[in-house]
Amino acid sequence: MKKITIRIFAIFCLATVLFTSCEKFLDINPLYTQDAENYFETPVDYERALTGAYDLLQSSFITVWIGEIASDNSIAGGESVSDTEGLHEIDNMTHDAVNNELRNVFRWNYAGVTRVNYIMENKNKLDFEGKDQIIAQAQLLRAYYYFELVKYFGDVPLVIDQRLGADEVTEISRTPQAEVYAQIESDLTAAAAVLDWTNPVKGRLTKGVALSLHGKALLYQNKFDEAAVILDRVIDEGPYDLIPNYEDLFSVINEGHAETIFDVEYSGAEGGSYGCLICLEGNAAPGFHGIRQYNGPVYGDGNSYNMPTEKLYNSYAAGDIRRDASVLDIDAFIAAQPNSSEITYAKGGGGHSGYYNNKYIKRQGEIGLPDNDLTSPVNYKVIRFADVLLMAAEAHNRASTPNDAKALAYLKRVRDRVNMPEITSGGSQLTQDIWDERLHELACEGHRFFDLVRTGQAATEIDGFQTGKHELFPIPQVEIDLTGGSWSQNANY
Amino acid sequence: MIKHILSTVIVACICTLAVAQTTINGTVTDSLNQPIIGAAVVEKGASNGRITDENGAFSLPVENPKTTVLVVTYSGYKKRELAVLGKTTVKIKLSENSVGISEVMVVGYGTSTKKEFTGASSNVAGKDLEKLNIPRVDQALQGKVAGVTINTNSGSPGGGSSIRIRGLSTFGDNDPLILVDGVVYDSEGLNALNPNDIETVNVLKDATAGIYGVRAANGVILITTKQGRANTKPKIELSTYYGVQSTAKRLDLLNASEYAVLKNEMFANGNDAIPFANTALGEGTDWQDAVFQDANMQSYNVTISGGSDKTTYSIGGSYFSQDGIVGGDKANFTRMNARVNLNTEMSKRMRLSSVFLYTNEERDVLPENGIGSVLYNTINAFPTDPVQEASGQYSYLEEVSDIINPIAQMQNIYNTSFVDKFVGKEEIAFDILDNLTFTNRFNYNFALVDQKVFSPLVWYGPGKAQNTALNADLDPTQAEIAPGTTIDRGASVYEARATYSDINFESFVNHEYAFGEVHNLKTTAGISIFSRNGQGLGGTAFNIPNNSIDYADISANLAPGGFLNNTNSFQFQERLLSTFIRTQYRYSTKYNGSVILRRDGSSKFGPNSRYGLFPTVSGSWMLSEEDFFNWDRASYVKMRVSYGISGNDQIPNFAYRGLLTGEGDYVFDDIITKGAAIGRAGNPDLKWETTRQFNIGTDIKLKRGVDVTVNYFIKNTRDLLFQPEVSGVLGTAGAGSFAPIINAGDVSNKGVEIELGYVAPTRKDFNWSTSLNTTFICNKVTDVPDGVDFIPGANFGVGGNVATRFQEGYAIGYFIGYETDGIFQSQEEIDNAPVVQDGAKPGDLRFVDQNGDGVISFSDDSDQKELGNAIPTFTFGYNLNMDYKGFDFSANLYSAIGQEIIRNYERQQPYANQLGYNIDRWNGSNPTNETPRLTTDLNRNTTFSDFYVEDGSFLRLRNIQLGYTLPKNRLSRLKISSTRIYVAANNLLTITNYQGYDPDLGSFGGALSAGIDYGFYPQARTIMTGLSIKF
Repeated sequence: MKKITIRIFAIFCLATVLFTSCEKFLDINPLYTQDAENYFETPVDYERALTGAYDLLQSSFITVWIGEIASDNSIAGGESVSDTEGLHEIDNMTHDAVNNELRNVFRWNYAGVTRVNYIMENKNKLDFEGKDQIIAQAQLLRAYYYFELVKYFGDVPLVIDQRLGADEVTEISRTPQAEVYAQIESDLTAAAAVLDWTNPVKGRLTKGVALSLHGKALLYQNKFDEAAVILDRVIDEGPYDLIPNYEDLFSVINEGHAETIFDVEYSGAEGGSYGCLICLEGNAAPGFHGIRQYNGPVYGDGNSYNMPTEKLYNSYAAGDIRRDASVLDIDAFIAAQPNSSEITYAKGGGGHSGYYNNKYIKRQGEIGLPDNDLTSPVNYKVIRFADVLLMAAEAHNRASTPNDAKALAYLKRVRDRVNMPEITSGGSQLTQDIWDERLHELACEGHRFFDLVRTGQAATEIDGFQTGKHELFPIPQVEIDLTGGSWSQNANY
Repeated sequence: MIKHILSTVIVACICTLAVAQTTINGTVTDSLNQPIIGAAVVEKGASNGRITDENGAFSLPVENPKTTVLVVTYSGYKKRELAVLGKTTVKIKLSENSVGISEVMVVGYGTSTKKEFTGASSNVAGKDLEKLNIPRVDQALQGKVAGVTINTNSGSPGGGSSIRIRGLSTFGDNDPLILVDGVVYDSEGLNALNPNDIETVNVLKDATAGIYGVRAANGVILITTKQGRANTKPKIELSTYYGVQSTAKRLDLLNASEYAVLKNEMFANGNDAIPFANTALGEGTDWQDAVFQDANMQSYNVTISGGSDKTTYSIGGSYFSQDGIVGGDKANFTRMNARVNLNTEMSKRMRLSSVFLYTNEERDVLPENGIGSVLYNTINAFPTDPVQEASGQYSYLEEVSDIINPIAQMQNIYNTSFVDKFVGKEEIAFDILDNLTFTNRFNYNFALVDQKVFSPLVWYGPGKAQNTALNADLDPTQAEIAPGTTIDRGASVYEARATYSDINFESFVNHEYAFGEVHNLKTTAGISIFSRNGQGLGGTAFNIPNNSIDYADISANLAPGGFLNNTNSFQFQERLLSTFIRTQYRYSTKYNGSVILRRDGSSKFGPNSRYGLFPTVSGSWMLSEEDFFNWDRASYVKMRVSYGISGNDQIPNFAYRGLLTGEGDYVFDDIITKGAAIGRAGNPDLKWETTRQFNIGTDIKLKRGVDVTVNYFIKNTRDLLFQPEVSGVLGTAGAGSFAPIINAGDVSNKGVEIELGYVAPTRKDFNWSTSLNTTFICNKVTDVPDGVDFIPGANFGVGGNVATRFQEGYAIGYFIGYETDGIFQSQEEIDNAPVVQDGAKPGDLRFVDQNGDGVISFSDDSDQKELGNAIPTFTFGYNLNMDYKGFDFSANLYSAIGQEIIRNYERQQPYANQLGYNIDRWNGSNPTNETPRLTTDLNRNTTFSDFYVEDGSFLRLRNIQLGYTLPKNRLSRLKISSTRIYVAANNLLTITNYQGYDPDLGSFGGALSAGIDYGFYPQARTIMTGLSIKF
């Protein structure tokens, strides 16, 4: 009996010894993937992280929607009034702090900021040739993401060169807009100093992007003198020019033309699903803007979102070719086709204006993989040269010492291209003319709402717009709650 | 089993001593007159006994047959005492232990008896499941066990179920731990198991499941497969059945004329041109007729079992094949399996038990559940369009882009998965002492999963998202591989192979020590080492020749330069390291106490909190053994109580650390360029969620054949493994990035379970027994993470109406939306209404102003309220068995009451077909308060409201069966010991108010998606006939 007890005891001891040494058994590492904390070991690591930071540019479709739908240019449209309900609320100026689309704007841009900060946090880990180019692009991206945030929400928390932990996030607060702008400007200045005017790789951000965005950011702060200087540099030193045919601006085949300054690049070569629009490599806007249940030539079918209004259509002067290039009158288009009786389309339950966004719309020949409502290869033009000309014109016109001559010259360049007569006004009339020109030149491109707010015209142009409230969108309530509820909401929400 | 070996040994010893004078010959049979092999027949008060042979026969020498009383015992059956009264031949019929309560039960690293077990568990005999002829074990278990709620996730052949033991307790994975002969199965993998191979199923429901520690929080299901019996000749059982399935229900949809009339009204109301000049279109196409079909199912089983002195074996083989009522062989599930269970005494002190299961499965699936599924298309297809045009071409259903012709769709779907699975156990038990056994066990579960998806070039009509071709001529689309260079993108095939292997080594000792006459101490202690690995490789190849499934293999692709083809792979590993000890103390026969302690280390968690300790205490009191107990009618009364903590580690691997698994792709030079981004943000302090469960219960056995078990439980789950929303400032909203998983939130489940059983005494060859089990559960979220009001769940309709939530004070995944109060009858009524409802017109649903501010708010939830939830408050299962002479009859009912279902299969598009209730819609001449107007105009009637919520309560006759066992003498020449034939029907009758196909709805995508009907693949009604023969 005793012997056996000893034997048992021995077995247990052995088991215990074996077992303790086994605890390493649980120390396993994930296979074939890198850990966030052991990254930035090679130049390629930086390069890949930068690509990851570019990725969020592809959320731009939401700005095409909100920038137009919030304005007098478009209605929300879609399948029903509860289809992407947030857009309908923005359309009606009834939006409040619970709004999925606004929340996406907030989160996606911060995701972009965070991916840049991840690089910046580690920028001193390794030195190699060409790192300055990477850092410059990263800073430019961060400036863009923060500029979007400021445009929508005003004061936003400014997080720079670090990633926050879940605990730290409750300690941050909204940073005054001016400080955010200061950071944007400093990032852009740094980027412009390093980057070249051109980059052989299509889609890479350049000096022209940094300067144009800087000029735009200055314009949004009403710093016209500085804006004029910077934008003049883009016009005078940059390799940009207007292309002859306005209608050619938005087709895939002409991408990379001389007027391109800042394009968000898309591809039709990867499928996607509605469940994750931010995962797409294609541009969601053209498919969503497409003609509902359309069965006919030229266009593809889509979801009838973001439909231009009659007001926009009728605001063009007679003979302005930009009207039809920007706004598609679907019934007129069908009637003009030889087999018009065979062409059908449907009206969406979310509203139907009879007009479609003709710049970002699904066209045959520009169709990506299934589901092709989501996989358009059409680039989004954040800033194109005509925009820079008009921004420069406005800056000169509104500068402390106005230079209307220069403004008129820039305006003429834009109007000459589309054979519109020269404008000869000056002073505040010229200001208004430039603004109207922006409407017609840049309609359906996602600028209108922010232009109206910036120029103080929103209350007169947008039904339901309340001055002192709707200049900014509300900070998503859930974002306030998730950081501890201490942020103040924007006025009157 | 142990008991059986024991009785064999005892009887064998006794026999040598017996002095024979008269011999009593007899047979022992079960209630269906099947011989019982291996039953022990002992003379009462004497040391004299025999074991029945393969015919159930015995001959026992006794001294005086006039006074002899025979005691007959057999595991799983009631002990029977029979006075011989001088006869020399006797027939003894044993009835089963009521409600499947076997005496010996598996409780994890050992066995216990119903009498001394201190936990709450339920036992189901394999033959009760086998009898239902339901291909999946989990589905067969529905309604069999109190406290276990099982819902079908899909009625398609091979479709899974959601198994919930004592309610939903977490936001994430609610599946119980399933062990087959000690080998871990996931609920998906249960397809591999043939219900005919099962001996018993034991469900551990309370904290005593804590012996399984970090994986036991959702309960544990222990499945034991069949084993042979010692000293029996080979017993061969053949069984087969054949069934025809059909849909149990069709929806009431509009026919062509009704459709035309309603659509005209709808368009006219929206001031649009009416689509149908002529509305006398007759019945039109009945798409349900076209899609639903009768489908076969068939099953063949063979089992050989037996044993010698030292070795027992059970060998099984089966073939099962089932077509779908939607899709026929395009939704086929076929399973073949083979099984060997072998137990052998290697020496006097050493036993080997070996289990080997091989399964081969093939499953074809069609798109299910959601926009784009075959049934969704069927419900919404226009009755005015034919299935095929005169030209033979499938109609295009052109007016709605995301509805395609379901018949054409079924023909063009080729999605097959193949599974080869090897599961086994080798276990050596060594008796160090008579009361000390050392067991080493090696388990494995290896699965090889292949998938092949062929996507032919197909054209469903203009603008359809599912088109893969460019046009009706099936020209391929083009892909630009370099500026200006395009190549065809033809038919494609996706093939993938994944291997999964679980390896588990367990080593434990069982010790039993009795002292001082009344004390008994049983101890189990051991370790478990578990490792799971998986890896997969897949690829897509384009330009499959001839657009044909015949060439659908990557090797056949003609993609120029292979430019379009691509590959993917994955791999993972996870590990568990555990130690456990269980001590059971018994005082006399009255008191039982048990303490369990388990320590688990899981590789799911970081070094900061890798190990968890899970204690459980439990006790029972045999009231009926007390001297003061004088309730004569009861044969035993037991009180039980248990409390303990168990865990749940079912989260993605390496969630504790941030990996660069995010998607950071951007397009440079028109090429998608891969970047890097952080995937899920890390959380080094992540730990398992814990469930604290209290259970109090009683088991009562009355002498008249009544069994009662009652349990009350409180189950609180804390530190829920959550991936809650986090501040956008953390930057986790990018593609492929996720918020960190954290521990936050509490859920409580409270409930009562009652199991009742009754076995009537045999009266003139008539036997009957019945059992009933019911469960009441109250589920509530008691805490959500800081800063989060609720977690949004599943969507309703198209475009982001969130219809379910996880929110404090409500059931998990409760429904939230607008409450309606009839319909606005006139503009005057709208104008004079005290509540402003923006955009309302006569005929629109009138919503209730919940916050009383005089305005219906559509932009936030201030006017929304709870509209129900998918969790039944009450479920019950009812079983009835009867037999008379050779005839037997059984029925099985299941009912779930108090849950709601969201009707979410109606496409809210002007041309989509609609349910028949719309005939009674509001219009000027029909002032109903039930169904709103039809219009293409802007309206809020499609906003999620109680109009779309239906009562999901139902009562279902799951199985009804009538069998006949042929008289034995007719077949004895063929050496057949018994032959039974039967007819049966599954799912014959369902009583419900639910309009959809099937109210028995699981969840397709997590706890927050439960109860949303997206055009669910219903369970079929099956009429079948079967035969079983025993040699």
